[in-house]
Amino acid sequence: MISLLLILVTSLFFMGVVVRTKSLASGRKGPGILQPMRDIVRLWRKGSVYSKTTSLIFKLAPTAYLASVLMAILWIPCGSSTGLLSFEGDFVLFAYLLAFGKFMMIVAALDTGSSFEGMGASREALFSMLVEPAFFILMGSFALLTGQTSFEGIFSQLHFGSHISYLIGALATLVFVMIAMVENSRMPFDDPKTHLELTMVHEVMILDHSGFDLGLILYTTQLKFAMYGAIISNLFLGQLPLYYTIPLFFVIQTAFAVAVGLIESFIARFRMGHNPQAIFILTSVSVLLFFGVLLLTGTFS
Amino acid sequence: MTDILLIILAMSLLYMSIANRLISYLRILVIQGLILFGATFLTLTELNTVNLLFILLETLVFKAIAVPWFLNHIIRKNRITREAEPYLPNFLSLLIVTLIITAAIILASFINDEHLDKTFFVVAISTIFTGLYLIVSRKKIITHVIGYIVIENGVFVLSLAVGNEMPMLVNLGIMLDIFASVLILGIFFNKIGDVIKDPDVNVLSNLKDS
Repeated sequence: MISLLLILVTSLFFMGVVVRTKSLASGRKGPGILQPMRDIVRLWRKGSVYSKTTSLIFKLAPTAYLASVLMAILWIPCGSSTGLLSFEGDFVLFAYLLAFGKFMMIVAALDTGSSFEGMGASREALFSMLVEPAFFILMGSFALLTGQTSFEGIFSQLHFGSHISYLIGALATLVFVMIAMVENSRMPFDDPKTHLELTMVHEVMILDHSGFDLGLILYTTQLKFAMYGAIISNLFLGQLPLYYTIPLFFVIQTAFAVAVGLIESFIARFRMGHNPQAIFILTSVSVLLFFGVLLLTGTFS
Repeated sequence: MTDILLIILAMSLLYMSIANRLISYLRILVIQGLILFGATFLTLTELNTVNLLFILLETLVFKAIAVPWFLNHIIRKNRITREAEPYLPNFLSLLIVTLIITAAIILASFINDEHLDKTFFVVAISTIFTGLYLIVSRKKIITHVIGYIVIENGVFVLSLAVGNEMPMLVNLGIMLDIFASVLILGIFFNKIGDVIKDPDVNVLSNLKDS
């Protein structure tokens, strides 16, 4: 319950911190950290315009997208306090809930009948497909390390003691940050600010959504970032009492947001043709992480 | 700590499979040399001081400084273009190197020998095969030399695993590095650079006795 509340609160200011970091890095003052959320609220007050070629799926997709992410959040614990739901092997459901939301967005993009949107949808599907093995190998390694198969079990058992486990923690954080960047179509993989349809990935997919629907999609992006931030913070929180957990949670989320802002400021966008290899390297790194876990558990020496 | 260094070595192989420019390959060689220096320092604890100093100095000077500098010198002198020019797309290279590492892990899991340190084994096998893959998948002669040096690094990792028992093996391995990779291939390459302007593998098939 606490993790759900914390993630919802974080989602209000997360993108604001990213935007502020980018502004400061480029020498501007930047808007307040609630500005992206204000823009979304403004969109929520508007109505939507629907093209005549679209069907029910197009109207359903943004809601399904938000719902899938909200549902996925229910499984995420926060330190010692558990998530709302938990069962054995729930990280598989977690991944496929996210995949379901993405599938609805892709189908909605195809539903508009625009050639650009189909192109963006195919790219987004490819990138998500490439990032999925990384997530599963990573969670599988953690399951092997802890002997548990639910988020709650894994993160309650996970603690870093020896020096090789610090490497595993660092690599896992790196992989999770990059997964979050790919899943949200952020800068090194896709530029959210680009205005050329040929080079867009996520933005071209949501080109036909307007008003309330667009607000939902933009808010879902923030929520997804906060969700991945919560997973990353779980790597470090451990079993602390609540009055330490909550401030530490916000500190880690802010650090994650600042890291995202810095990555976006200082890394140029990859060429479209270089994206698959840049994303697939996450899987390769996860394989090495799996190797590290094998060494750590002693099943391998 | 050695495990961390070896896993970073394996990560450098992944980077090597997708690097575009020759200068990145040389930087990776420097990093690998430094990693091997660290691994040598941490692993060979039972040697006498003089021998250990000799091995450390060899590793640091030749693997991390001299060989990359020399290769850089060759690249400058022969005006080799800076792209690596692979035959395959980089994505496939990354996939193949990942498969090599996975196969090495699976292979090592089948071996039951208490004398074998499997971390060294996995990293050494994947380094050797990545070096072979670099040789067959890149067009330039200079990348053949780089692939050969990567193979030598793999052999060195494997010899480190038994270095405490047989220090002579490590010394011999390093000597082989210096002898084979730099002197022979360096001179060979300089001579070729005088005769052939285009340093591509395919022109080697034009060389004949006459």
